[in-house]
Amino acid sequence: MKRIGGFFGDSFYRFGSIVLFVLAWQTLCSTGLAPGTFVASPAVIAETLAKWAVNGFLARHGLISLSRALYGFLLAVAVGVPLGFLLGGWFKAAGRILDPLLKFLGQFNPFALFSVFMLIFGLGETSKVAMIFWVSLWPILHNASLGVRTVDPLFVKLARSLGLSRPRILWRIVVPSSAPYLFSGLRQASGTAFFMLIPAEMLGAARGLGWLIINAQINYQIPQLYAGTAIIVAIGLAIDALFRFLEGQVVRWREKAAV
Amino acid sequence: MTPAAASRTPPSKNIAPVALGGKATAQRGMRMTLPRRSPTRFLVPAAMLALWETLSRLGLLDPQFVPGLADSLAAALDMTRRAFLLTHAMVSLARVALALGLALLAGVPLAFSLGHAWPGAFRFLEPLLRVLGQINPYCLFPVFVVVFGLGEAAKISVLAWVALWPIFFGTLAGLGDLDPVLARAARGMGAGKASVFLKVAIPAASPSIFAGARTGVQMAFFILIAAEMTGATAGLGWLVHNAGAMFQVPRIYGAGLVIVALGLGLNRFLVFLDRGLFFWRASGPGQDGLPRPGPLALALALAAALIVLAIGLIGMARAESLLNDPSVVPEYRVWTE
Repeated sequence: MKRIGGFFGDSFYRFGSIVLFVLAWQTLCSTGLAPGTFVASPAVIAETLAKWAVNGFLARHGLISLSRALYGFLLAVAVGVPLGFLLGGWFKAAGRILDPLLKFLGQFNPFALFSVFMLIFGLGETSKVAMIFWVSLWPILHNASLGVRTVDPLFVKLARSLGLSRPRILWRIVVPSSAPYLFSGLRQASGTAFFMLIPAEMLGAARGLGWLIINAQINYQIPQLYAGTAIIVAIGLAIDALFRFLEGQVVRWREKAAV
Repeated sequence: MTPAAASRTPPSKNIAPVALGGKATAQRGMRMTLPRRSPTRFLVPAAMLALWETLSRLGLLDPQFVPGLADSLAAALDMTRRAFLLTHAMVSLARVALALGLALLAGVPLAFSLGHAWPGAFRFLEPLLRVLGQINPYCLFPVFVVVFGLGEAAKISVLAWVALWPIFFGTLAGLGDLDPVLARAARGMGAGKASVFLKVAIPAASPSIFAGARTGVQMAFFILIAAEMTGATAGLGWLVHNAGAMFQVPRIYGAGLVIVALGLGLNRFLVFLDRGLFFWRASGPGQDGLPRPGPLALALALAAALIVLAIGLIGMARAESLLNDPSVVPEYRVWTE
């Protein structure tokens, strides 16, 4: 595709449609074509967000949601990556036998499980963290094991004949060549974690962005509803961008290392 | 995963790393080590279920929190007999199917027009589409209700929004993978623009469309259960939620098992269709060593799906009266205050 060079052309393509969309939305709201009873204008959303930012509402609920997502995600990384490596690389037979079970578990509906988690862990933080752990675990585990299985055996054989120790083979060969898979799994998992957290918080939480949304829904506070949604979209995009960035870094490093 | 993010990583995992700049080695290794499907794949899940039942029989699981498999299944059976569980399941399925249909109707033409006909417009619109894809429609449910009314339309449009983005981005990915040599060869053999589009672009993109649809269905089914838990008066999510509110633990597990089974069945059905329909596909579910279903099996499966859909649609129309039916025991009835 032809690229228009320069800063202007670039930012035109990157933000042009979003800016136009927001302007059109604002115009529709100010002219009264979109009734304020169910559409909040961008100005109103910005105002609500500013109010929340000042009174600490945003930080309180945003941070609690982020920390739930983070704990669940980190737990899933801590379990999923080693387990995936073990099942994909060291215990291949076990991996083959367990693979259907893992796929089977990965397709479980997290919301059917959420009722069970609530039952077992109660209304506290654990049930939400357990649910996020559950939804992030499967992409991470699956991709880690796939990544190890796709390591070129020639490299491993070569390294072995050159006398590299097992930990060094793991660190110098297995980890770098499975990194693209691993990061693709991490990115999928991070997106899922945050996407599923919001309904989970709507179903059973007393704080967090999901609670903010359900509270606005129940009280029919349209500006708060839109402001909460906007924050969730922004965080979702930021998480996606972060993992894209990390993935880009790792892939570049891998290409350099491979040459 | 968010619908948009899900679709940008192509669902067939073996494409992703190559697109990321992975070496050909990744592909080669892939083909050598993909696990073959074997009949033993049912043994491990069966063993897990048996372990569950054994542990609960031995009294190692607190029945207050984790009832045994048999008790859960008995609860599901009880709900089938006394609370139209199967109808609830078909209502849920019909909601997903309608949403999928809407998402396909909107997403595929949109992706074709942006990806095939106006790539310039697509480049301009892509950031906006990504932002829209991040919107969790479940948050804006009241707005959907105001626009579409309290009935099924609001729920279905929420689900359609969820399913739309994997389909849209999947179709785009399929168009991007289209080998230009094929299009040029068809042109060289005298095919017009329309027939290149119909005979080359659409068949080339259809496996990706289908892969997007599979992701979309899965996401929509997840969100559906959550939506039914908060806002519905029918469907499996509502049954789970109702059981939770009454602290009927075996019933939570029973309805949960049905949801899980339905999700798995839905996925198997789509894999089955995928294998039968896209026989020209180079990689993916068709390459697992299983025989491809013939046209008769495909036709039978589609007919069965249509029957389920029809029952679900009828159930959907009658949901309210169904749940307040005198034959339904009071504890399963909708609260009418």
